[in-house]
Amino acid sequence: MKEELLSLVNGAVKRAIELGFDEAAVLSVYRESTMVKFANGEPSIVQSWSSNQMSIYVSKEKRLLGTSAPASSLEEAYRMLANLGRISAKMPPSILYAPLPEPRSVEPLSGLVDRKALEAVSDPSQASEVIVEAVQRRDIESFAGMLQISYSVKALATNTGSELAEDSTEVQAYVRAFAGEGSGQWAYGSRTLDLSKLEEMAETASDLAYRSRRQENISPGKYNILLSPMVAGNLLNYVAWMATGSSVLLGQSIFINKKPGDTVASEKLTLMDVPRQPQLPGSTAFDDEGIPTYNKPIIERGYLKTLLHNTKTAAKLGAKSTGNAGLVFPRVWALSVEPGEMSFEELLEETGNGLVVTNNWYTRLQNYVEGIFSTITRDAAFIVKNGEIVGAARKFRIADTLPNLLRNISSLGKELYDIYWWEVEIPTRTPYILAKNIGTSKHTA
Amino acid sequence: MWAYEDLVVKAVEYGGKIGADYVEARYHRLKRSSIASRNGGVIGAESSVSEGIAVRVLAGGVLGFSSTTILSREGVSKAVEDAFRKARAISGLVKKPVKFSDENLGRATYECVEAVKASEVSVEEKISFMSELWKRVSDAPSDARVATLTSFLRESEEVKIYANSDGAFVRSRIPRLSISYNVVVTLPSKGTIQRFFSHSAVGGYELAEKWRILDYLPEDVKTFEKILKEGKKPPTGKPIDVIVGSEIVGLMVHESCGHPSEADRILGREAAQAGKSFIKPNMIGMRIGSEHATVIDDPTIPGSNGFYLYDDEGVPARARYLYKEGLINEFLHNRWTAEVFGTHSNAAARSAGHWGEPIIRMANTYLKPGDHSFEELLEGVKYGVYIKSYMEWNIDDERWSQRYGGLEAYLIENGELKHLIRNPVLELTTKKFYSSIDAAGKDLRFYAGICGKGEPAQGVPVWFGGPDVRLRNVVLRVTGE
Repeated sequence: MKEELLSLVNGAVKRAIELGFDEAAVLSVYRESTMVKFANGEPSIVQSWSSNQMSIYVSKEKRLLGTSAPASSLEEAYRMLANLGRISAKMPPSILYAPLPEPRSVEPLSGLVDRKALEAVSDPSQASEVIVEAVQRRDIESFAGMLQISYSVKALATNTGSELAEDSTEVQAYVRAFAGEGSGQWAYGSRTLDLSKLEEMAETASDLAYRSRRQENISPGKYNILLSPMVAGNLLNYVAWMATGSSVLLGQSIFINKKPGDTVASEKLTLMDVPRQPQLPGSTAFDDEGIPTYNKPIIERGYLKTLLHNTKTAAKLGAKSTGNAGLVFPRVWALSVEPGEMSFEELLEETGNGLVVTNNWYTRLQNYVEGIFSTITRDAAFIVKNGEIVGAARKFRIADTLPNLLRNISSLGKELYDIYWWEVEIPTRTPYILAKNIGTSKHTA
Repeated sequence: MWAYEDLVVKAVEYGGKIGADYVEARYHRLKRSSIASRNGGVIGAESSVSEGIAVRVLAGGVLGFSSTTILSREGVSKAVEDAFRKARAISGLVKKPVKFSDENLGRATYECVEAVKASEVSVEEKISFMSELWKRVSDAPSDARVATLTSFLRESEEVKIYANSDGAFVRSRIPRLSISYNVVVTLPSKGTIQRFFSHSAVGGYELAEKWRILDYLPEDVKTFEKILKEGKKPPTGKPIDVIVGSEIVGLMVHESCGHPSEADRILGREAAQAGKSFIKPNMIGMRIGSEHATVIDDPTIPGSNGFYLYDDEGVPARARYLYKEGLINEFLHNRWTAEVFGTHSNAAARSAGHWGEPIIRMANTYLKPGDHSFEELLEGVKYGVYIKSYMEWNIDDERWSQRYGGLEAYLIENGELKHLIRNPVLELTTKKFYSSIDAAGKDLRFYAGICGKGEPAQGVPVWFGGPDVRLRNVVLRVTGE
């Protein structure tokens, strides 16, 4: 499959140059994927996808143009390219133009394909049964969730001479369980199919549901909040996305007025982009411009260390590509938070009087530059008094600013979790994170 | 335009042959072009096509879905086999088999026609529009600076060919135009104001002029500067009257009436994703608001962003009265939920592309207008706040507790608009909102959005709207506090 795709992308690069373009980069992704969706304690649908999507980036006299289409519709893609070529003559050069980089040596990343996951793409029934069994070990009323297993091959060719291919498997799963007034949700993402991890994920969800089945109201105000890996993952996804060069250029970042070396968080926080961590989905050896990827801190011990760039945003902002290219805008591959030294019990003790939030959703910003946001709790939230969990809280919002949240991080757990789901779209390895004196809100009536 | 019709028909026939109890196939093609600019300079242009065939079967009471971009007899046959085989493989885990309601299904072809095809408008004209917008917007403030204006102009064409084993056969073509922008206005001593906004509707380039962005956005930017300079803290802590602008009303009815009225959500099918609903199956007829709370979802509004005449199960579309005069009145149904509830589908099944199963979605959701002019709404307020637009917002997954961060907002005293206020927050329950409406304006306005739901997440174009409404006795909050 790799050879077939490489031949396809090389052919497309050749055709683009024949059409009169100065540069071309072509990425083709073949994907086989299966998803079992659960609702009310049983499968509600099994879904399968088979696709081969080709994305073509070209430039002509510094004008940037792009197209994408299924590989089976290549002639359509060429027609669109030819049309773009005609209209490009009437466009001014792009404000983001920078030449495609020269090819570099790329060290392949091993461990991206797992045989068990590969087999489960065509038969996910065993993994599904494991989830259904494990989630019901606790006394819950129902559950819902999802298991998706995929196999992908990607191939990239550029007119500068890059010819790269890589294949990988990916497992994504989450379960939400319900008991009484309570619910619990947990997620997992990996390159490998490890049934014991799926069991753990399902058990965690049902345990949280069971322990939050009776709830009480809390008053809005400032609290010490222990953010679970689900919540930390969600909020740090926003922070990492804001650290891309395009977010800064397009006015969607708390880092607009910051430069590397500025303090942006507590010294306890080190947040890394880790494309070369093969256990996390998102890991890859090369970016969409053919530049080798590498792990790098975005925030290191509280200092802004680097923004994430492709060659275009790097040129615009006076930096160098960080191997984070998407075809037009940079992307975040996968995130990792450096762990702390505390056990969960020690984190509770450090919380003193406060809250544990295990899941959230609908994080929205009033203002991306100032980072004013709110997010609403979705599942189990616990009330902590004198370092111990004493009850579960009804839904409320965390309402504060991202800069304040980052500054107020006081401790991190030592155990790491790999989270990947709807609200954590960039696969994230993170511990529990304690942030002190954080605003909360609730409806007034 | 109707290429691949043969593959759709053959897929349905083949599914029946291999033993599926029900089969449907949908060729779904989305062709898009866009130009992006920042501060008047062009970033680039893009064209893309997403096309494939989606197959859904019922086998052993389980729904199987499969999608392929390989548009050949072999590719589509494999998709049918995949859907059938994988559904049957896990049928042992299923307790309640899926069944579909009986419906009168459509056999029709329809097409929306643009007055001016966007593809026939020169790129110079489109770029000149974006440059002119930057010029006018950046010149608008006197002391503040427009740090960023990012704008996107997108045109698209959606073509579908749908057939199922119950006899439906529907072909459609729908073109859309969309212009969206993000503007950041900054005054270093006072902070920043940010505004995202999108226009989108069915039609062609004629819409670009109709939206009058060149006229209103510079004026908006002047207002944002004024908010930075003069905006005061909103009154909090005690109940006041609040006039909620139609832009917020539209979002509120989408979030707190449309979503909780989705029957699949009510039945728990989306519980791990979009969530559940505060509405339970037996709540039809229960009071949720005042007599002014009538919310309609109507896919058949000509030119609307969520326009369609047949849903993605082949059922003819009609207006749905979700809340009627303050009572929960009707749910949004597909053929599965209609069967569970012993009723008929009201054609709410939609899919975002060939890669997505059809699930229950809104189309164009709005609060029914009343009879008040804006001045009459104001006259009735002795002390209160008018919130015209918003930025931050969210709602819990049962659609009960909702929050909207105001962007442009004014204090009202003795029926008159006074000074600007900054960052007021309306944070209240769904019942409190609908019960507090004591008057609705007579001007109905619609706003465009992309509504997300499903796994994988499917974004579908919708409109939401309403008039300005007056709420009595609401306590406000402030963002970031």
